[in-house]
Amino acid sequence: MRAASGKEVLVARVLAAGGAAGYGFTLNEDAAVARDMAAWDALARSKGVSLLALLGGSYRKSVKAEKDDYPCIAPDWPNFRKGILESRWNLLRIDPFAWGSVEIVQTLAASAASFELGIAFLAPNEHPWEFQYCAALAATVKGEDSKVIFRKAFQDRELRVKDEPGIGVDWASEPGFKEIRWQNPQK
Amino acid sequence: MVHAGSMYVIQKTERTVIELLLENGITGLGETWGTPEAYALTGRFAKGWIGKDALDRHALRDATLGKSGYDNRNGRNGLASFAGLDLAAWDAAARSLQLPLAELIGARRRESMDVVCTLPAAILDRAVTRKELTTHLDVLSNTKLVVQFAQDQVEKFGFRNFKLKSAAYSTEWDWKLLHELREAMPEARIRFDPNANYPPAVATELCRRLDDLGLEFFEDPTGELEAIARLKAAVKTPVATNMWVVRDEHLAPAIRRNAVDVVLGDLFMWGGIDAWRRMARTANVFGLKPALHSVYETGIATVANLHLASALPEVEYPNDAGLHFLTADVLAEPQVVRNGAMKLPGGAGLGVALDRAKLDALSVEAAVIS
Repeated sequence: MRAASGKEVLVARVLAAGGAAGYGFTLNEDAAVARDMAAWDALARSKGVSLLALLGGSYRKSVKAEKDDYPCIAPDWPNFRKGILESRWNLLRIDPFAWGSVEIVQTLAASAASFELGIAFLAPNEHPWEFQYCAALAATVKGEDSKVIFRKAFQDRELRVKDEPGIGVDWASEPGFKEIRWQNPQK
Repeated sequence: MVHAGSMYVIQKTERTVIELLLENGITGLGETWGTPEAYALTGRFAKGWIGKDALDRHALRDATLGKSGYDNRNGRNGLASFAGLDLAAWDAAARSLQLPLAELIGARRRESMDVVCTLPAAILDRAVTRKELTTHLDVLSNTKLVVQFAQDQVEKFGFRNFKLKSAAYSTEWDWKLLHELREAMPEARIRFDPNANYPPAVATELCRRLDDLGLEFFEDPTGELEAIARLKAAVKTPVATNMWVVRDEHLAPAIRRNAVDVVLGDLFMWGGIDAWRRMARTANVFGLKPALHSVYETGIATVANLHLASALPEVEYPNDAGLHFLTADVLAEPQVVRNGAMKLPGGAGLGVALDRAKLDALSVEAAVIS
């Protein structure tokens, strides 16, 4: 899909057993991330609950989004372990689209909680969907410092964490979304 | 069966069983310790849960225990009482979502799991005093009774995994008994648990002497964290704990100190499913193995532990389990050990139902919180 901004967005769809469709996306061409997100979206929609409810609830109802220029931690477990044990970070800056699945993000979050660290989730392209997804993830993370970060000079803001069924992304906010013709239409 | 170890000699157990009724009519089952403190706290906490959302368990935890370990003024009892209610909330949530509990935790990865048979430190016909116990242990030939007991468990239930409790009274008894168990059951996985009642130097010496026996792990051979870390550095057999790494704030120091190989986490000590799952994930990232500790729980907590083990790929060791020793349970469908393993029940939530008549027959006290 081409976004209103002109960027290409990879969008995936998963159908739950009952027929509920879930969607996932990425702007970094990693289909696995989009598929995983779509599976969570489909499950949440099929059960009529938010991602938060599937992950155990929320630690906050809104999440700060702030400009931040520090580098993110690369998706590299040995480096992650070493950095934690060397007390290299006061805040774990993570690009969830680079690290991968919700499960991986939850594992990072568990380690962060054990070492009393918050997580800053990077919205790498400042796309509205990225902000919404990062906000949903940040709401499930224990550390009080947890937030969403971005690189460009937007104004800092407070993101409301959506409690509607699904992963918290407003798909209709991209005009191109409804134009997608799925390769395997729902029967 | 009389349970004999270094902490206590007991012949019965008391538990708090919880039914959590949701607005949608669905009931979740939970369980926790049966001590008077835990029972009273569970009731007190439950009052604060009325009208809250069972799907938002992070908020329930913060509201019940506070945001930090310091906020939890009720210590271990607070965590255990919360864990009982938390289990009921997970069960109710999973039933509401029509998902097996394992799937809500992560995934239903395994249908059947090996469980561990506890072996008492000595075979006794009644709950004796410490003095009577030590008199029994002075007769080293009595070790054969424990070996016979273990073989009976193999015969009856097909166990392949054992935990030998130790009274931490006689290293000679423990050394002799473990060698006899190994000889009688060469293929069995055997863990050894003196509940940290051997002093550090004695424990280290004993574990060195046992190091070539191929035990599964030494469980709390001594304490506290520093002493167990030194012992771990002196042996090649893995070292486990369910005493020194028992809540969130213990994990990072244990990892940094390289204190243990296995975190034998107890669902109730850790304060519920989310805390246990967090521990398992972190432990795995840092090269430790999470495993499920258990004492003598009803079928509710036994099945909850099966769901955790099924859901989390980080769990490789068999679960502790003591249900087969109880003369009665509260569940309608008996949860049995066959060929050394237990099956994960089907259906939503825990997949089990209470038998009201059995529960009533076992109840010593009951309360309705509304």
